[in-house]
Amino acid sequence: MGRAWRVFAQRGMRVIAQQLLNGLVVGGVYALFALGFTLVFGIHKILNLAHGAVFMTGAFVALYSVNAGLPIWLAFLLAMTASGLLSVAIEIAAFRPLRGTGEAEFGAIISSIGANLVIITLAQRISETRVMRFPFGTFPVVIYEIFGLRVSMLQLFMAACALVLMLILTWYLYRTSFGRQVRAVSGNERAAVLLGINPNKVYFQTFFVSGALAGAAGVLVGLAFNSIHFMMGEPFLLRGFVVIILGGLGSIPGAMLAGLLFGMIQTLTVAYLPSGLTDTVIFAVLFLILLVRPNGLLGAEAAGHIGARR
Amino acid sequence: MINFFIAYRPVFDLFLIHAGLAYSQYIVLRTGAFSVAVPGLAAIGAYCAAILTVRHGIHPFASVVVATAIGTLVSLLLSLPLARLRGVYQAIASLAFVQIVLSLNLYAQDLTGGAMGFTGIPKLVDTVALLAGLVVVFYVIASIDATRLGRSFDAIRQDEAVAASLGISVTGHQMVAFAVSGAIAGLFGALEAFHGYALEPNQFGFGLLITILTYVVFGGRRSVVGPLVGTAFLVALPEIARPMQENRLLVYGVLMIVVIAFLPRGVYDTLRDRLRHRRLAANNAARAPS
Repeated sequence: MGRAWRVFAQRGMRVIAQQLLNGLVVGGVYALFALGFTLVFGIHKILNLAHGAVFMTGAFVALYSVNAGLPIWLAFLLAMTASGLLSVAIEIAAFRPLRGTGEAEFGAIISSIGANLVIITLAQRISETRVMRFPFGTFPVVIYEIFGLRVSMLQLFMAACALVLMLILTWYLYRTSFGRQVRAVSGNERAAVLLGINPNKVYFQTFFVSGALAGAAGVLVGLAFNSIHFMMGEPFLLRGFVVIILGGLGSIPGAMLAGLLFGMIQTLTVAYLPSGLTDTVIFAVLFLILLVRPNGLLGAEAAGHIGARR
Repeated sequence: MINFFIAYRPVFDLFLIHAGLAYSQYIVLRTGAFSVAVPGLAAIGAYCAAILTVRHGIHPFASVVVATAIGTLVSLLLSLPLARLRGVYQAIASLAFVQIVLSLNLYAQDLTGGAMGFTGIPKLVDTVALLAGLVVVFYVIASIDATRLGRSFDAIRQDEAVAASLGISVTGHQMVAFAVSGAIAGLFGALEAFHGYALEPNQFGFGLLITILTYVVFGGRRSVVGPLVGTAFLVALPEIARPMQENRLLVYGVLMIVVIAFLPRGVYDTLRDRLRHRRLAANNAARAPS
């Protein structure tokens, strides 16, 4: 009896560990998506509702490049660049005219919904409303076994990508002169302009970085779930909300932590709760966390905010 | 004229329902609270009315009244936790509420029909009833605007600290706004239930939330007429742009960006403010030489 129980418990532990590992990988991708989102909010104080469309564009560009015969790593870089540029275009077309009108908070909601609609409609036209997938073998299917846990090469690649991009972002924000300018504008735009920082240059950079991160997340999700279609951004936008709020708006370490946490909570609820209740649990947790900590998990408004000194 | 009206009646009905929901959103924004719980409240009202009448045989009029009351009650309860939050945090918490209502609607299949939807609702509400509902809502909103209550709302929206220092209870006034919002959402949810034969959980989701918020901000979130103008414009636009066929949504998106870039306070509010400025300037110019 005791032995049987131990075997059962061991097996249960292994299942949980496997689920946690899967959640960690998915969470890394959520973190990538949410980082760009929270970066723009931290500096602009606006919610970019077209972020999901940029994410989708990343997956599309990578898919069409692979179909055109390019290797996956080139397609990946191309997708990041294209979605970065798209994000900059959204900034110039939709957000720049609103700056200084005093209506940016609400106006940006409308204009980014407009941009979202334009991009999604174009994507629908281009893809003819199909659900597409990367051709088989785009990414080698290799499965390793580590400590009894099954890890695919794709999962390792996803985790590595997420980790490297997060490190680069942290280095860029906290260790370079550009990053210091970005944080200066985020802290006090007027003072930064008086010190000779060109805010448009800062906006260009942050939107490019934000878009490129979303594009990378799009390619990774496209590779992992093999379902690329023009509406794929919307659920990620909703989950992106949850992640950035959990972490505290505008907080980079908060977004990373919350992304990983969210990925694990999601895989665990999917695995252990009736499937219909996943969303209920996730959003109820979000609601409760907000009640206890009105500024998010890592949010004493300024702590960990990109404007704050580290 | 009659032919035109009959042909476009569904569009007109859609306009009436959405205008009602837009006012439910408007009254909350008016007090500076950024809550977007309207779709969730409307879903509660709609399902409540449908279940009471279809399953329990209660008179439709009574179930509309009950739906309105329950909408008010839920909104009041929701305002208690939301009062702790500000700005985008409040918006996301209320979005969480909408998602919870949506997923519970999908989960409680025995009660709501789940993803298959709730069917077999008698169609009892026509254009006239919807119009009557909207007129009542408009009257309530306009009276709030014309009285001390409306000015207190404006003061709270513009500067909470100043309003509080003038002796205006921020939480109290926002609770009033939430109650009105919940009543309107419950009422129009119930009307929608009796208007469309069937209910489906996803019709009260993120899409509706964005649509309603767009109506209010697009038309103007300060004036009483703004939400009406925004709803009318955005509901009519796809019909007007029908010749463009598959480019319709493209045009819709581009127009949203362009209009808000040039009229950042919303169509009605910006134009009204400009007209006022021009009149003031003209008055001053006329007075200056003498």
